[in-house]
Amino acid sequence: MILKASNIYKSYKDSDQVIEVLKGASLEVNSGDLICITGKSGCGKSTMLYILGLLDAPDAGELEIAGKIIDSRSNHAHEFRNRDLGFVFQFHYLIEDLTARDNVMLPLLILGKSESQAKKRADELLDYLGLSHRLNRFPNQLSGGEQQRVSLARALANDPKLVLADEPTGNLDPAHSSEVWGMIRNLNKELNQSFVIVTHDHEAAGQANKVFELSEGVLRQTG
Amino acid sequence: MNQLEAFFLKHYIKTPRRNIFKFSFVFMVLGIALSVGILSAGLNLFQGYESNLKKLLLDSFAHINISPIYRDSIDEYSSDEILSIIFQKDGVSSALPLLQSQLMAQVGGKVRAANLMGFKDNANSYYRDYISQGKQEIASGEIIVGHYLAEELALSIGDNLTLMYPRLDQISAFGLHSVTGSFEIVGIYRCGYYENDRSIVICDIDEARDLLNLPIGYTKIHVKLDNPDKAPYYGRDLAQELNNRFTVIPWNYYAESLLRLVKMEKWLIFILFSFLVLIAGINVISAVGTIILDKTDEIAILHTLGAKPKSIKRLFAYRVGIVAVIAVIIGQIFGLLLSWLVEKQGIYKLKGDVYFIDTLTFELSFTNLLVVFFTSTVLIFLCIMIPLKQIQKMQVMDIVRRNY
Repeated sequence: MILKASNIYKSYKDSDQVIEVLKGASLEVNSGDLICITGKSGCGKSTMLYILGLLDAPDAGELEIAGKIIDSRSNHAHEFRNRDLGFVFQFHYLIEDLTARDNVMLPLLILGKSESQAKKRADELLDYLGLSHRLNRFPNQLSGGEQQRVSLARALANDPKLVLADEPTGNLDPAHSSEVWGMIRNLNKELNQSFVIVTHDHEAAGQANKVFELSEGVLRQTG
Repeated sequence: MNQLEAFFLKHYIKTPRRNIFKFSFVFMVLGIALSVGILSAGLNLFQGYESNLKKLLLDSFAHINISPIYRDSIDEYSSDEILSIIFQKDGVSSALPLLQSQLMAQVGGKVRAANLMGFKDNANSYYRDYISQGKQEIASGEIIVGHYLAEELALSIGDNLTLMYPRLDQISAFGLHSVTGSFEIVGIYRCGYYENDRSIVICDIDEARDLLNLPIGYTKIHVKLDNPDKAPYYGRDLAQELNNRFTVIPWNYYAESLLRLVKMEKWLIFILFSFLVLIAGINVISAVGTIILDKTDEIAILHTLGAKPKSIKRLFAYRVGIVAVIAVIIGQIFGLLLSWLVEKQGIYKLKGDVYFIDTLTFELSFTNLLVVFFTSTVLIFLCIMIPLKQIQKMQVMDIVRRNY
């Protein structure tokens, strides 16, 4: 087991109203899983993902990564995020002033790898994702699909146990969207890379080996 | 510095166009450069003033003054004895017996106080370095006059000047008897030290004897040293060796308090002008705040990738810090240029009667350069750190959600 979230509760205050987004949601991710979480807009899918990614803290519930209970507010959360988790967002969130290669090097440098080691690993990953000819391009010189592939390479840089993706193709046209999904499937099959992907696209979710639906604050497996 | 910080620092330096020379930094750089420039120029000019004043004081005054205690003059025998003691010491560059006294200089209806000097050995006298017009040699009936004294009395070379010495020992029912002598001006003395330039008159020692009614001896012995800063030590030694029969006064007695005052004023100006850098620092706070707002996505992604807020803060500090250091260096160059322009301009001149010297000069001091650099850099860095605190308070989720 890579990650286990048990009885996660989360609510937000909106003016005087308290909106309960998650009401005891639980999820277990094992090695090689390709999990999709679907649900209506605003149902709390992204909130669940951010809690799984230690970017937000639940009001109640427990999160276990690689057998260790983690508090996202602790000082160690940074290390877990860097070493054990990878993130892909709807927007590529690449640093505009850095080249594709430099962007992929970032998690490795944060981990403490030397520049030459980071460069070697970044080149390998970008080559694997078919971007060896775009190493020194800046994000604004890449297409949407290429930007998202660089973003995927960055998520995989430290060989994480789990990659969390929030609508990774939400901003792409159908052609680039299927290209990115193809990459994700390949990574899952060839490298046994685990993914938790939040999407509202039921058709794309069909490519996952486990599908969960978040409804009324609770996760239910639907496929 | 961790690998990430080193990488970014290298990146900022390697690609300055993308990271350093940006429009958002222009006004910040201008503010810093202007304030540091004014601070540097102020300090350079004050340093120049301080050095100039000290140089003039030491060049145009004796480093050690030896005068009699119990008599009006030092007789020839004592003078030779004193000179032989002085010249036994290493580091003495010259020692000159002379006659010196206050008297009056008169032309027509104009009368001014003057300081008469007659050197035993004119050929070796230090006044010769400051003759701005005319000749250095003085023959009988000739005189050298201070620049401002000549100006006040509307005199120039070739004119005659009457010197009057009131004999206080010859007061009668007809009033005060004074000895007078008329001299032709053959040279103008201008050392730059206002008090000297408006009072000095130098004539042949024999004629000075006649005027002052001192047929033998000297009123003073002026000693010059290779290192004037050692004057107090030499003075103490000389006083002991002369068995305290003479008054031995090093230059520090009458001029050091003035130099200390000037030094204190210099640092006071430095403190006051440092506030200008602080005002520029407020501009830096606003600039850094804007940059942080502009770079929230970058901050969010670095946070998501596992970078610690402290590390992210440092990345921004390095980036703005490099710009600030460049701005400080530009400011110091600007300050140098400003000081040079002030020195070269001919519009504003110092009032000699107020500031002792009438020329503005600047001096570049390595210590001052370092002090300005470090003070400005520290002040600017403190200002950079204030807005960077926002980074720690940023919620990654809010930033990511905002873009959906």
